[in-house]
Amino acid sequence: MRHGPLAAGLPPRDRPLPDYRIGEIYLSSAELRARVVELGDEISRDYDGREPLLVATLKASVVFLTDLSRATPIPHWLDFVELAGYGPGVGTGGHTGIRLLKDLGSEIAGRDVLIVEDVVDTGLTLNYLCRTLRLRSPGSLAAITLLDRPYRRLVDDLPVRYVGFTVPDELFVGYGFDLDERYRNLPDLHVVRRLAA
Amino acid sequence: MVSEAGAILAAVTLETPDFQAYLGTRPPRFVNDAELECAKVLDYHGVPWDYEPRTFVLERDDEGRVLEAFTPDFFLPEQELYLEITVMKQSLVTRKNRKLRKLRRLYPDVRVKLFYKRDIERLAERYHLDIAS
Repeated sequence: MRHGPLAAGLPPRDRPLPDYRIGEIYLSSAELRARVVELGDEISRDYDGREPLLVATLKASVVFLTDLSRATPIPHWLDFVELAGYGPGVGTGGHTGIRLLKDLGSEIAGRDVLIVEDVVDTGLTLNYLCRTLRLRSPGSLAAITLLDRPYRRLVDDLPVRYVGFTVPDELFVGYGFDLDERYRNLPDLHVVRRLAA
Repeated sequence: MVSEAGAILAAVTLETPDFQAYLGTRPPRFVNDAELECAKVLDYHGVPWDYEPRTFVLERDDEGRVLEAFTPDFFLPEQELYLEITVMKQSLVTRKNRKLRKLRRLYPDVRVKLFYKRDIERLAERYHLDIAS
């Protein structure tokens, strides 16, 4: 399976020629399912009687969130945020910083909030989200991430309480992860390979 | 005649973004696109940063003259972390790694992290940056 380079915003027919391909399976759907069930059990034990609010960041976390929610038997709530994407031109001239494109639909003061992330690497995005949500005085704030790259961390003091898999420094696609908005629906997590020039 | 490296440097220094989280008093003079893009990513996320605020002396001669020093590219005060960006070939990174080991030995309380070419490429892929590599 081949894929075009990152060219968000362009309709498919206008995208440049492929220089990536979808590689081998890194985590199968069965492996993902088994770990998500374990995480759901852990959350259920830790938050028993507290009805946590699971906050997912759109869009890559959605598949993980829906599986995690079904694997978490205790009562809990769901909500979503979306952050403005970073792109070329940011910081040149009319500077724009990171911001919420879609805010929470619920109040979080006094509530137990669990941020659901697809991946944490530098920690810059999660750091922003934690800073933003802490201003609203949640009862507690923690994070769960499906994938973790702790060796790439720039921000260390993050409340990452649950980690699905610590992964190598590869690009992944499938199970919610996209390549130019495609392939989020693949049930397995695949490595992305760059084609030789 | 302007060298290729000189042309790249001129292009980088010509761009002077209006940084919001930069803590320095003088405009930073980045030496390559990777440094500039890292600065933009930090700034975009509202993480306070400084550019080359401190030089660490690694070796002096008998008369106290500096023989070797190291100036990390970025300092993130909230993380108390120095960040060195490299887009060098592997052979040159080895020399830089040796310097970093020396720095860690002489300044054990200083946290410094080296961001390799691959890390920069990951940032570029994650944030859709256009960084020549």
